[in-house]
Amino acid sequence: MTAYARMVRPGLADCLLWGAAALFILIPLASFLIFGFFSVVSNSIDYRPTLANFDELLSNSSYRTTFFRTMRMAFLVSATNLVLGYATAYFIWQRPPAWRNLMVIALAIPLLMSYIIKIYAMRGVLGTNGLLNSATMALGIIDEPVSALLFNLTAVRITLSVVLLPFMVLPIYVALERIPASVLHAASDLGASEIQIFARVVLPLSLPGGIVGAMFTFVLASGDFLAPELVGGIEGFTYGRLIFSQFGLAFNWPLGAALSIVLMIVALGVIYAARRFGNPRWQR
Amino acid sequence: MRRLRLLDFSLASVTAFVYLSLYLPILLVFVLSFFSMRRGRVNWETFSLGWYAKLFKNEALGDALLNSLLVGIAAVLVAMVFATLAAINANSRPSSRSAQFLEYVIFLPFLLPPIITGLSLLIYFREAGIPRGLPTIIVGHAVFVLAIIYRILLTRLNALSRSLVDAAHDLGASNLQTFRYIILPNLRMPLLTSGILAFALSFDETMITLFLTGTDATLPVRLYAMIRVGFTPEINALIALILGFSIILTVALAYAWGRNSGSGGNLIAKTSK
Amino acid sequence: MANPETGSPAAADVGLPLLRIRGLGARFGTVEAIKPLDLDVNDGEFLTILGPSGSGKTTLLRTIAGFQPPSAGRIEFDGKDIADLPINRRPFNTVFQDYALFPHMTVRENVGFGLRVRGTAKAQLNDRVDAALGIVGLEEFDARYPSQLSGGQQQRTALARAMICEPRLILLDEPLAALDAALRRQMQNFLKTLQRQSGITFLFVTHDQSEAITMSDRICVMRSGSIEQIGTPRELYYRPKSRFVAAFFGASNIVEPCRIHETRDDATIVETPVGQFRISGPPPDSSSGLALAIRPEALGPEDETRVNTLELEVVAVSFVGSETITELRHRRTSQVFTMKTRSDPAARPPDIGSILNIGFDPAECALVTEAAN
Repeated sequence: MTAYARMVRPGLADCLLWGAAALFILIPLASFLIFGFFSVVSNSIDYRPTLANFDELLSNSSYRTTFFRTMRMAFLVSATNLVLGYATAYFIWQRPPAWRNLMVIALAIPLLMSYIIKIYAMRGVLGTNGLLNSATMALGIIDEPVSALLFNLTAVRITLSVVLLPFMVLPIYVALERIPASVLHAASDLGASEIQIFARVVLPLSLPGGIVGAMFTFVLASGDFLAPELVGGIEGFTYGRLIFSQFGLAFNWPLGAALSIVLMIVALGVIYAARRFGNPRWQR
Repeated sequence: MRRLRLLDFSLASVTAFVYLSLYLPILLVFVLSFFSMRRGRVNWETFSLGWYAKLFKNEALGDALLNSLLVGIAAVLVAMVFATLAAINANSRPSSRSAQFLEYVIFLPFLLPPIITGLSLLIYFREAGIPRGLPTIIVGHAVFVLAIIYRILLTRLNALSRSLVDAAHDLGASNLQTFRYIILPNLRMPLLTSGILAFALSFDETMITLFLTGTDATLPVRLYAMIRVGFTPEINALIALILGFSIILTVALAYAWGRNSGSGGNLIAKTSK
Repeated sequence: MANPETGSPAAADVGLPLLRIRGLGARFGTVEAIKPLDLDVNDGEFLTILGPSGSGKTTLLRTIAGFQPPSAGRIEFDGKDIADLPINRRPFNTVFQDYALFPHMTVRENVGFGLRVRGTAKAQLNDRVDAALGIVGLEEFDARYPSQLSGGQQQRTALARAMICEPRLILLDEPLAALDAALRRQMQNFLKTLQRQSGITFLFVTHDQSEAITMSDRICVMRSGSIEQIGTPRELYYRPKSRFVAAFFGASNIVEPCRIHETRDDATIVETPVGQFRISGPPPDSSSGLALAIRPEALGPEDETRVNTLELEVVAVSFVGSETITELRHRRTSQVFTMKTRSDPAARPPDIGSILNIGFDPAECALVTEAAN
């Protein structure tokens, strides 16, 4: 124990910090977990514990379908972005330093832009009169505007991919930037070819960044309801929307909470896996 | 290395595609805030600032903007106080179990899908009998941005020599003096940087907010309502303005960060680890 | 010569030591970093705590400073117990290993910090900072930030900052460890001179025995949380009590086992596997693991002062500039000796395998035991 440690009175600090954390983080989370075991009887909440919501969840195939479809979509978004993001991060890393910083800032700007606006902007691109249709028509690739680009699950996937890309590129880039130049020189000095250096040194050292990025992307994509709501139409119904609707028109909060518990378990599993594999032994 | 040129070319293409996909939609919105579109093409002869004029007459949007600013500032201040205490606590007791678990708790609302943070607070406030409104939104945002501020402050504290506090005490400073003269000055830049970042996050936050909103909407919630109803071109003008604001925030952040420590690339590293 | 009991020139005429430590212990969890020990630091002396890493020397210093709570014992300063006094009320200051300069303050603000937190008036504060900067020769650098200073300048700033409140005792925790060899020697002289002129008592921690010898009035050697031996540099160098101290000060030739053959008034005769030798002085109180320690530079060709003699075979000769190091072996027992002699440009080095008649002075060797206590 150092003097600094005694500067903070542990008892007092714990009381204060844990008190606030309990009041605004832990108890809300706990109450939502408990709520999943209540039910709704004639438009008001019945506080007797029941497993009815989970029973419904397992037996109703439409919930199951929506769940797996959403997870598959989130996985595809993560996988697509991992490939696109890695290539981009690697390309930025290979540029001269002045270029690098500029490109990184250019990635960070959209990250801080309103989420709603980015989704709205994607509508302008994907719509029947949108940019993608106009451009491909002008280039003579298609004759008629394709309406299948908007208001379905594919539109949700493309939108989420674009919106979440910076979350993938930045952690990978940071991991690449942390590789000391001397390590690469050493590998080269020992006779490794450029491809060997990439496969044996660069990739293993930067993959943790990719795992962190994939975690962010998956967790955000799987729980999102704004993008599906705005570009998904009826076809692009996702698990997040399903939850959200329980708190709106459907007014079944306990069911919404139960659905969220499943989502939270998946999210915690992914976060745990990312912590394990995105934080390899040599880094701890 | 000639055989790598093809690879370089494909990497460059992917990168170009990525940047294009990030910027093109936004650029389109920007263009459409000045021009109208006919049959899928921008009509360049229709330049007008009409949508901007109309926008400034929309009082509901003005109110929403004020709400957003208020919520952002209040949430950031609340989160800063808590994050500072928690970061000092964690830094001063590096082997403390309690501080380690607290860190997990702080990170939960940031790492979990926003929908979970939102609905858990909604249920909590309802059961506690607290009506939805700006205060509940402020709490939601504070909880959400807490992790970012905490992480940035803790990174700075961990980089400081542990003996600085010993030295201050050794020279006769009291706990309060040590905090005022030694710890706080060293946290000034990270507080500024994390404050801007947290404010930007709060300003854009929609998913948690949608659960906690009463009658007073924030700007993104207002926008969400407008977009759902249908396209009104004045949205394009509003969006262009918000984009400008975001760019200013980002540049301010990059500048503060540059003065604080190295390149903008650390932005995510410090929050994602 | 100094008082043989305490080794301090001042000890005889000063009643109470400035710092009196009795039964002081410190532990980290179940690990005993310092076993309960006693130590007196006299007013005005330069006392060095010397030991390898892990010996508890830094823990001892940090416990005295108050950064580490003691697990047992008393710390008295000027006759008053200060063990329960918080750090910021202790009447002495510390120079840290990493200097711990406040990065956001200029040299002037750093040096003036101790006065500022005591609410000293601005004019007086400035005068005293100027004086302190003058002493350490940093008048020109008062507006710089620590990051704009060289290692030596940072060191001087840290010193000035510790001296500003005019403490009677300054604790220094390996303050020279981060400096390069040349700068280090320069700072050693500077520190020693500063200490003498100011009359402030210095309690200095280092792992470097040559540094300790050059600077100290007394040295306290620590080993695994206990004090192994306290004495003047000369005493520790020529009269180590234990193998550990002997080895630490470079008496690397250890001959064992040793048996006391005869004790005379001024000398002791010992029996060893390589012969019978005469050692100046009385034998040690304890005789557990008794051994004979001979410094490499004490060995040399047999002559009238080097009356203890052995026949040794040359194994290897290496020329290291001003000195020549010869590895020697005792044929019957295979005991190896190292001999360090001044290099002689005229002499031809001895042939490998040749037999030499080597001797050493009874005053230049010591009888040591397993442990000092």
